[in-house]
Amino acid sequence: MAENTIRKIKWFWPWQDEQEEAWLRSMSQKGWHLSLVGLLGIYRFRAGEPRDYVYRLDYQTFPKKDKQEYQQLFRDAGWEYIGEMSALQYFRKEVKEEEPLEIFTDVESKIAKYKRILPFLWLFWIILIVVSPIGISIDNPYPWWGAIQAIQVFVLLIWLFFTYVIIKLMLRIRQLKRL
Amino acid sequence: MLRDDSNKYLPLTESTCYIMLTLIEPLHGYAVMRKVEEISKGTVRVGPGTLYGAFTLLEKEELIVKVKEENRRKSYVLTPKGKNVLMNQIKRLEIMTRNGLSVIDML
Repeated sequence: MAENTIRKIKWFWPWQDEQEEAWLRSMSQKGWHLSLVGLLGIYRFRAGEPRDYVYRLDYQTFPKKDKQEYQQLFRDAGWEYIGEMSALQYFRKEVKEEEPLEIFTDVESKIAKYKRILPFLWLFWIILIVVSPIGISIDNPYPWWGAIQAIQVFVLLIWLFFTYVIIKLMLRIRQLKRL
Repeated sequence: MLRDDSNKYLPLTESTCYIMLTLIEPLHGYAVMRKVEEISKGTVRVGPGTLYGAFTLLEKEELIVKVKEENRRKSYVLTPKGKNVLMNQIKRLEIMTRNGLSVIDML
């Protein structure tokens, strides 16, 4: 890795997008500008002059062709596209007077963004439910029965994780609706 | 005769209503953003995230349709169905505005 880049691993929950945006901004103010987002919370920063960049995250999945048009729209509005991490789209813009600093300008479209994430979470949630009872037949004296049990516990934990994320995300949507 | 089901889209959000108002003529995304700001006298600004979401939804519901595509910019215009929905929204707003104005006189 080049000397003027650093890698950071940090976890943000899907409902913590504003905290993530604030963290990226504070990194830029210190002279570390986001250059790449990798899988599962791996961020790469490039050293430079400290600048006041605001970062904004959208959640979109689309075919490649639509993606170019999508990016063009943001570019036209003064946003620089940085990259994508599991359908999260990262943009930034330098803070200047009179420049709009939001990509979502009403509560409804912000809620719609969270709602785009939910179907994917539900899909995993349902798949895990379908998968989980495999091997539950009690008197199965297979030699690898213990291994199956271990996998089941693991599946259950992931299922609990998804349940937690879905509930928290739905609470965030409700909180926004009350505004 | 088409059944009028435009009520299921109402009320439109302020942003969506303004976006549709600008699409009486074919426009691409950034032109819509500037025109909304202009005709709303700066009271409404539409960010690219909000606009992209609105385009996607309106196109899916066939209230707008893509008419042109150049330099990675899509232009849209209202469909007859979209015009009908917009007209009904404006009528609702007119009733509300009239109610509002009559109350303002009493304040």
